[in-house]
Amino acid sequence: MRPFKYTSANDASAAVNLVTGNPNARFLAGGTNLLDLMKEDVERPDELIDITRLPLTQIRRLTTGTNQGGITIGSLGTNTDAANHPLIRQDYPLLTQAILAGASGQIRNMATNGGNLLQRTRCPYFYDVAMPCNKREPGTGCGALEGINRMHAIFGWSEKCVAVYPSDMAVALAALDAVVKVSPPGGKERMIPFADFHRLPGDTPEKDTNLNHGELITAIELPKNRFADHAYYLKVRDRSSYAFALVSVAAALDLQGAGNRIAQARIALGGVAHKPWRALKAEQLLVGKEATEANFRLAAEAAMADARPLAHNRFKVELGKRSIVRALHMALTGGKA
Amino acid sequence: MQEKENVVGTPISRIDGLAKVTGKADYSTDHPVKNAAYAILFKSTIAAGRITDIDTAEAEKAPGVLAVITHKNAPKLNVKGGLRGGAMLQSPVVEFYGQHIGIVVAETFEQARHASHLVKVTYDKAAARVDFDKLVGEAVRPKDKEDEKRGDAKAALRAAEIAFEAVYATPIEHHHPLEPHATIAEWNGGQLTLYNSSQIVNGAQNATAATLNIKPEQVRIITPYIGGGFGSKGGQWANLVLTAVAAKQVNRPVKLALTRQQMVNSVGLRQHNHQKMSLGATKDGKLTALAHEITTHCAINEEFVEPCGDCSKLMYAVPNSLITYRVVPMNLILPTYTRGPGKATGSFALESAMDELAYKLNMDPVGFRLKNEPARDPSNGKPWSSRTTVQCLTEGAKAFGWEKRKLEPRQLRDGNTLIGYGVACGTYPARQRPSSALVKLKREGSDVTAIVELAAADLGTGTYTILTQTAADALGLPLNRINVRIGDSTLPPAAGSVGSVGASSYANVVNDACIKITDELMARSGKQYYTRPTASQLMISEKIDSYQTRVDSDAPEGADEYSSHSFNANFAEVRVDMATGMVRVSRFLAVTGAGKILNPKTARSQIIGGVVWGIGMALTEESVVDPRWGNFVTRSLADYHVPANLDIGTMEVLFVREEDTRSNKMGVKGIGEVGIVGVAAAVANAVFNATGKRIRELPMTPDKLL
Repeated sequence: MRPFKYTSANDASAAVNLVTGNPNARFLAGGTNLLDLMKEDVERPDELIDITRLPLTQIRRLTTGTNQGGITIGSLGTNTDAANHPLIRQDYPLLTQAILAGASGQIRNMATNGGNLLQRTRCPYFYDVAMPCNKREPGTGCGALEGINRMHAIFGWSEKCVAVYPSDMAVALAALDAVVKVSPPGGKERMIPFADFHRLPGDTPEKDTNLNHGELITAIELPKNRFADHAYYLKVRDRSSYAFALVSVAAALDLQGAGNRIAQARIALGGVAHKPWRALKAEQLLVGKEATEANFRLAAEAAMADARPLAHNRFKVELGKRSIVRALHMALTGGKA
Repeated sequence: MQEKENVVGTPISRIDGLAKVTGKADYSTDHPVKNAAYAILFKSTIAAGRITDIDTAEAEKAPGVLAVITHKNAPKLNVKGGLRGGAMLQSPVVEFYGQHIGIVVAETFEQARHASHLVKVTYDKAAARVDFDKLVGEAVRPKDKEDEKRGDAKAALRAAEIAFEAVYATPIEHHHPLEPHATIAEWNGGQLTLYNSSQIVNGAQNATAATLNIKPEQVRIITPYIGGGFGSKGGQWANLVLTAVAAKQVNRPVKLALTRQQMVNSVGLRQHNHQKMSLGATKDGKLTALAHEITTHCAINEEFVEPCGDCSKLMYAVPNSLITYRVVPMNLILPTYTRGPGKATGSFALESAMDELAYKLNMDPVGFRLKNEPARDPSNGKPWSSRTTVQCLTEGAKAFGWEKRKLEPRQLRDGNTLIGYGVACGTYPARQRPSSALVKLKREGSDVTAIVELAAADLGTGTYTILTQTAADALGLPLNRINVRIGDSTLPPAAGSVGSVGASSYANVVNDACIKITDELMARSGKQYYTRPTASQLMISEKIDSYQTRVDSDAPEGADEYSSHSFNANFAEVRVDMATGMVRVSRFLAVTGAGKILNPKTARSQIIGGVVWGIGMALTEESVVDPRWGNFVTRSLADYHVPANLDIGTMEVLFVREEDTRSNKMGVKGIGEVGIVGVAAAVANAVFNATGKRIRELPMTPDKLL
């Protein structure tokens, strides 16, 4: 990797100021993605500000604010700790399932919650500096568009980039309407709704998120919800563990009264777009309906209606439909097949 | 004196285990060499053409850099010296994507890697031959592979009562041992020491010497431990000699380890095989014809073809047989031996086709195989030294609960999953190769110790352990009085740990050396013995302080009058998720006949390793080339999917009892290769039995099962 300056920060505002002062500086948390990318010369920061000592690891119930009754998750806690926290296991089992579906035990022990949201794509053309990639080097072209694109997007892609966003955790966070709490340089904290946090590639695929340079994620907030009993994260992949999703589905149902009537539904997909993909039409379609296999199938059709598959990933459309039905079914039965 | 119990055949734990789990075992670049510099290779980013300019100025000025070596300043090497795959910086010609085009040597690894990114290369690109599907029509017969004909297979197929034909495809695979290829080179005047992961110790020595135009005696290979090789560390590659070149250039020891990303185009691969399989049979299930027509690829100007037809030519009694190879030269790295070379991939075609034909005949696939059991090796008419296929199938079927299998697919389900059973057989030749060994005995009072020396290699599979057991029994000493020294080219020359020849070659020569030393000690005593004393007893009774002897061994006379092989039968139970297409091998039984099992524990582990490889081949492993540029897009273990723990269900390993001293005196057959043979077909056959879907193109990823 290229030589870089390393500083360990003791408080958040100092860290923010250090990164803000140098356009080539980056925060370093778990390092599970950034350091790999630096070794391959994909990421080329000349300064790293180590934030792992900042006291941003707490997970607790929110007693005030817009998400009162929900929880806040410190950005620098590890994925392992988040997945296993009693509040999350009890109230947000979807998040536990999604985190545990990702990476490996060793990686989850290092990776942080904030860092998880900032993972770069695993597109092989992005990872190989000898290949064209607009995300890595704007203007060089997209290697995957007409290349090997079995793992790539079927929604929201552009001619500039067909990469998918790799996180499992974020798919659950999207379904759970998380809010990302951010410390900007000099200013006061801002709250970014999850749907606005990640971006579609458009003409600027080099930008994965709407964070500005120097902004630090301090926490992720989850509003209170009624999905805990009926939520399921399904991940379909090429091997049983330590593989990125071909398609993943975070499904959650809020069932009220008799006859399994759906008050609210959440369906978010992973492995299909440049960001966690909420199937809003499908969710809407389920509201007020009975939780039946037939309705799940209608929702699945609606979710996939606008899919635009590439040469090698046509299977994701059918797989996506089946996975949505399966995930909703599993959510309905509380995780039992 | 009490008779010591034999330790050969007992499941002792590997004697190097503690050193390995405590980090005391030195792998190649772990050796504590003082003042070492670090080298990294850099590679071409085109698949064919010429380097017109290579600008190293910026790299040379980067912090810590000691040297940058390219074809412009590399010393002249003998590219025909026995190393595989070329890429030795001898010319500006580029023959495949990711060919080595230079080395950076620096004070630290990261400085070297950084500087390598600063080298600017310009090319004159030529049209690259990298798209197999487009080139397949240009395939030619390889120079060293005549078509193998017996009878008239084509006519017999036309005349067959029941005929079957299908094409089976296996993808490019990489070996990806956990320890990448790594070397330390240290020159001392004209003497070169190479700490290098080598499956063939003397082979690495000779190839290095020939390539550098020096004498073999000037080269010492040290390789006490190997972190996996699977064939990629058998024949050695350019990285070995380039480390020596770098060390000479900077006049310091140099360490060079390939990165995981560099492994895909540095040390060979298992080639993509396109196999057309035709079978003919009578209505009652006697095979009448077999044609196995293989098309594959090799390097642009060097041939290598893995022998996919080897199982087909001898597994079953077929009067008419045809095996052909055709090969397409391509701008890809030279393929090489990969676990179960030819047999792992060829058996996928043969054993899938046998299953398909059995289904067509409405026969149980175990019974179909038993019906076509050959009395002699049909490929050469020789008697078997022993053949255990029938035992493996029948004992395996019983142990596995095969009778629960339904002939029709889609009969067993559990919730959302379909359950299926599959069977497939395999084989691999059993051979003993020339090897030498030195046994040294020492006595202090009544404490006798032995040192056993030979230039063998331990891939991590248990060579140290089985040789300690062999020597302990043959000398009459406890295990802890035996010190086995291997992995050093200054020791007596030995066969490689390749092609399943290691255990038989090494155990026999060590046993022979121990017998010889006992004979010599008896003769030296001048006494008559009613019962044969042990070497240990003789050292004590004759008050000898030290004694040594050396022996050279080879396969016993007459061994080649027989056809000698290990055989297996594989039974798989799979569970297929009907919605997502995800396949899980929930249970697997491998039954193997491999002669005398020296250590059931290390043998079991080795078979499990082979089965896991086979499951990877069946379900997950695939190296993908971008057909526009010839580069691999699967460059890391996140993209190249070897099975994870969760992919592997219950594993059962059985060995059938057999005594086969025709193939070698100790009756030891190899198990390193046979473990993978037939595994992928067993899984594919089970997937068909579960789902009714026949997948003929590996790996069976979820998309193929939708």
